[in-house]
Amino acid sequence: MNLQRTMALLKLELKKLIRDPTYLFSLILLPVILTLTFGLALSDTPTSTPGVSIFDFMIPGIYGFTCVYIVMTVAMAFTDYRKDGLLDRMNTTPTTSGEFMGSHVIANILISLLQVAIITGLALILGFRIRSSGFLLAFAFVGFLALSSVGFGLISATFAKSSGAAVGVSMIFFMPQMLLGTWIPMSEATQVIGIFFPIYYSTNSIQMIFNGVPLTDITIWINLGVLAVYSIVIVIIGTVIFKRFGKA
Amino acid sequence: MTISEESDLKKGSSNNIAIEVQNLKKHFDDVKAVQDISFKINKGEIFGLLGPNGAGKTTTIKMMIGLLKPTSGEIYVGGYNVRNDLNKIKELIGVCPQQAAIYKFLSGRENIELYGNLHALDKKVLKEKTNELLEATDFTEQSKRKAKGYSGGMLRQINMLMALIGDPDILFLDEPTVGMDARVRRKTWEFIGSLKERGKTIVLTTHYIEEAEALSDHVAIIDFGELIDTGTPKELMEKHNVEDLEKVFLKITGRRITEGL
Repeated sequence: MNLQRTMALLKLELKKLIRDPTYLFSLILLPVILTLTFGLALSDTPTSTPGVSIFDFMIPGIYGFTCVYIVMTVAMAFTDYRKDGLLDRMNTTPTTSGEFMGSHVIANILISLLQVAIITGLALILGFRIRSSGFLLAFAFVGFLALSSVGFGLISATFAKSSGAAVGVSMIFFMPQMLLGTWIPMSEATQVIGIFFPIYYSTNSIQMIFNGVPLTDITIWINLGVLAVYSIVIVIIGTVIFKRFGKA
Repeated sequence: MTISEESDLKKGSSNNIAIEVQNLKKHFDDVKAVQDISFKINKGEIFGLLGPNGAGKTTTIKMMIGLLKPTSGEIYVGGYNVRNDLNKIKELIGVCPQQAAIYKFLSGRENIELYGNLHALDKKVLKEKTNELLEATDFTEQSKRKAKGYSGGMLRQINMLMALIGDPDILFLDEPTVGMDARVRRKTWEFIGSLKERGKTIVLTTHYIEEAEALSDHVAIIDFGELIDTGTPKELMEKHNVEDLEKVFLKITGRRITEGL
């Protein structure tokens, strides 16, 4: 893997985030709006757990929501790149698939970590209290969730022929995760469905960490392992499918 | 062993051959887009692929640069077989696609620099080369603006400069001047001519007769996926006893190259 090429492509993706209003809104402004809205409305609303507000309870879900939004932005980006002839052009340069996909994966993981930092910073101002020393472990969960989102985004882009269609196709992966793994309370039945989606493992574990469950709890580490394997498998499937069927 | 020394040893390559196409065919289901085309392109020459829209020019180019797999036939670029040595070919070529493939949220300069980085150019060399290309095309000032605001002609200019930044030995220009006004087109012709003087091999597809005549050392006329005739523009005009390539095409096929545009 050539570092110069990978870094150039990484910079390209980060510039797009800042300069393209669609991506700036979806990936940065939307998390800000969500955090502000829920923070202002619910930071004083208590839950049955003493000292924990509904807003505190929702934060891991907001992390997850913004992270699964990456499914849509990746799907849109790849369909646009394909439509504009940029993928074909890239294929005529010495750039390898590993460098190209690697830069996208790294860019989206960085974006997800930035999202978490912004949400947490704002939430702390609005009254959110972290009651765990293992806070940084949340970044690992979010990073892997972003990785799975890149994979789902690639699968969506394979079947969508335009960026509009990409939004529709990516809903197949976005909606269930939003409904089953963010801040919406789950019944036992929906929990069974939820375990098939990566966000379940992320939100569940981050909530445990934030609720002060000690990091020695094996469930947290099992969840991290499941999420890591799930994400890596999905991103490999997405890459292979897109490379095989999605480039034309 | 250097790439050029190695390529000279490969089948289909001789000292003076940059590209060799042998019995190339491409079928999309029932559509025969390219039918049994063969030709050779000498190093350092401008080779014009001439034909009306839909003739098979872009399909032929796409196979030569590895974007489409041929149904049958062989292609050697710089002595390397497209089927087996595509990665080595990518080090040798620059491609200016028909559709201006540009990142609109980047400036013109940033687009060029991105492709220089993809060719792993040294930072200092990249800056010098970018400046050189922009100055040669009078594009330095405009290159600071985002490509989103560029006219069609400006996008085409950047499209071509992106293909040149890697200093390729072999350049594929697919309809490079479509959408340019007459003044910019003339300037682009001069620029393409200067590339030939620097020893570049250029494969140029166009449906502009005057462009093919002004620039090409050799021309291959394609229609309905078939190679109808090939030679220097002068040879073809003399052979068919007419005064321009349009009339050559008309005489061979019974229709004009620009029909249906």
